[in-house]
Amino acid sequence: MLAVSPLRNTKDENLGETESYSIGASDFPDFSDGNLLDSIDFDDLFVGEMLPDLEMDPEILAEFSVSGGEESANTKKEEEDKVSGSGSGSGSGSGFNSSSSRGEEIVSKRDESVVNPRPPKQSDHHKGRKSSTQSKNSQGKRKVKVDWTPELHRRFVQAVEQLGVDKAVPSRILELMGIDCLTRHNIASHLQKYRSHRKHLLAREAEAASWSQRRQIYGTASGGGGGGGGGGKREMSPWLAPTMGFPPITPMHHFRPLHVWGHPSMDQSLMPMWPKHLAHSPPPLPPPPTTWVPAPPPLPPDPSYWHPHHQRVPNALTPGTPCFPQPLPTTRFASPPVPGIPPHTLYKVDPGIGVPPGQSGPHPMLDFHPTKESVDAAIGDVLSKPWLPLPLGLKPPSTDSVMGELQRQGVPKVPPSCA
Amino acid sequence: MGDSSASYIHLVHHLIETCLTFHMTKEECMEALSKHANIDPVITSTVWNELEKENKEFFETYAQSQRQSKADLMSEEETSRLIQKIISDSSKDSDD
Repeated sequence: MLAVSPLRNTKDENLGETESYSIGASDFPDFSDGNLLDSIDFDDLFVGEMLPDLEMDPEILAEFSVSGGEESANTKKEEEDKVSGSGSGSGSGSGFNSSSSRGEEIVSKRDESVVNPRPPKQSDHHKGRKSSTQSKNSQGKRKVKVDWTPELHRRFVQAVEQLGVDKAVPSRILELMGIDCLTRHNIASHLQKYRSHRKHLLAREAEAASWSQRRQIYGTASGGGGGGGGGGKREMSPWLAPTMGFPPITPMHHFRPLHVWGHPSMDQSLMPMWPKHLAHSPPPLPPPPTTWVPAPPPLPPDPSYWHPHHQRVPNALTPGTPCFPQPLPTTRFASPPVPGIPPHTLYKVDPGIGVPPGQSGPHPMLDFHPTKESVDAAIGDVLSKPWLPLPLGLKPPSTDSVMGELQRQGVPKVPPSCA
Repeated sequence: MGDSSASYIHLVHHLIETCLTFHMTKEECMEALSKHANIDPVITSTVWNELEKENKEFFETYAQSQRQSKADLMSEEETSRLIQKIISDSSKDSDD
C-alpha cells in the first residue's frame, strides 16, 4: 500500500502547483485522467525522504543537497553507504531530514534500480520515512532519470522566473522549456527542490545580512579611520529586516559562500557545482567563506565582511549579553604606531597617531569613543531606515511606562513637535 | 495617539541601541541623539532608563565594560603620549 505521510512543512509552500494533500494509508488521490501512477509518484515525492537503500548516482545525490553542506554531505554519505550495503531498511531515520526534497528523485532511482522488496518498508508505518516507494517498484512505473545539467537547470530557472517563482506551474515550465524528455514530474520535483533551496538561501541571506549590518555599525565606528572598510561595505549588503518583507536582494552575489543553485546570474564557475561544493571544497570558492562557519578565524586586518560573524558568534546575541565586538577588552592599539594603518579593532584610530611633532595637545590618540561622524552616520541611518532590525535586540520598554515617566518629567507629547 | 508615541519610543530605543554599539554612555547618547536626531534628552534619558529596567543584566555588564575601558583609557593616554614623544623625538633626530 502506498502510505504517504503528511507533507512536511518544508514542502508546504512548494506545493503551490502540485498536489498538496496528506494522504492516508489508503487514500489515493483519484485522478480520473488516468495519471494515477503519476500522482502516486507525487505522493512519494512529497513524503520526501531518502530511500536509504537506493543505488544512486553520486551526482544525482549531489544535486539534492538543499541545506547546509555538512548536512548534505553526511546525508549523502549515509545514503551511499546504505545503497551499497543495500541492507537494512529504515535505518536512515533522522539523517534524511535535511534532504526532504530528494525524495522524488530517489523514488525514481528506486524504480529503476532496487527491486528487492523490503518487508518493513511495505508497512504502512512511514511517518515520513521512505517506506512507501517500495510499492512504486511493484507498480512497475519507471521514471527516466533526469540529468539536471547546468544548462538544463538554467533553462528551468529562466522558465520559473518568467512565470514567477511562486506561480510557476510545472506544466507551464515544461512548455517554456520545451524539452521533450522532461516529464511534468521531473519538473515538479525539481521545482520543489529549487524552491526549498531558495528558502534556505533567503534564510541565510537574512542571517548574513544581519551580521553585515552589525558589521556596518561597527564598521562605521572605524570608518573614519579605517578607510571606510566597513562603510564601504554598506552598498554591498542589503538591509534585510528579518521580520519584515525582504527588500530586493540585489547584492546577492556578494554572499558567495552560500551555495548557489546555479542561478544564471551567479558566477558561472559555480554552476556545475551547485550544492556539490559544500561537500568537497571546489576551487572556485574561496576558502574563507566556507570556513567561517566552523571556525571563525582570528580577526584579519582585511575588511572581509565576514568579520561580524565571528565577532557575533562568541558573543552570542542573547538578551542581557552586550554584543561588543571582540576587541573590546583588548588593546586598542591594533597596530604599531604607523600612520594610516587602519586597525581592525573596530574603534576609530585617530590618524593623529603619526602626528607631526608640531601638533600639540596631549589628546588621546586612540579615542575610546567613536568619531562624531560615525555616530552621526549611524544615527542618520536609523532615522532613515526605521525598519531595520535593532542592532542589539534589547527588550523594549513598555510604552506606557515610558509615556508615564515622560509625563512626570513634563514631556506631554511624544514625539515633541520640534522633532 | 498611542501609535505615534509607540513608534517614536521604538525609534529612540533603536537609536539608543545604536549608541550602545558605540559604547557610549547615557550622557553621550543623550547628547548625540539631541544633536543628530533632534531628540529631547529627557526622552532619551527616559527611554534609556526604561531599557535599563527591562534589560538589567545587559546594562550591568555594559557599565562594567565601560569602567574597564575608562581605566584602560587612562593608560592609553599615557601610552599615546609616550608614542607621540617617540615620534617627535625621532623626527627631531632625523632633523639633525
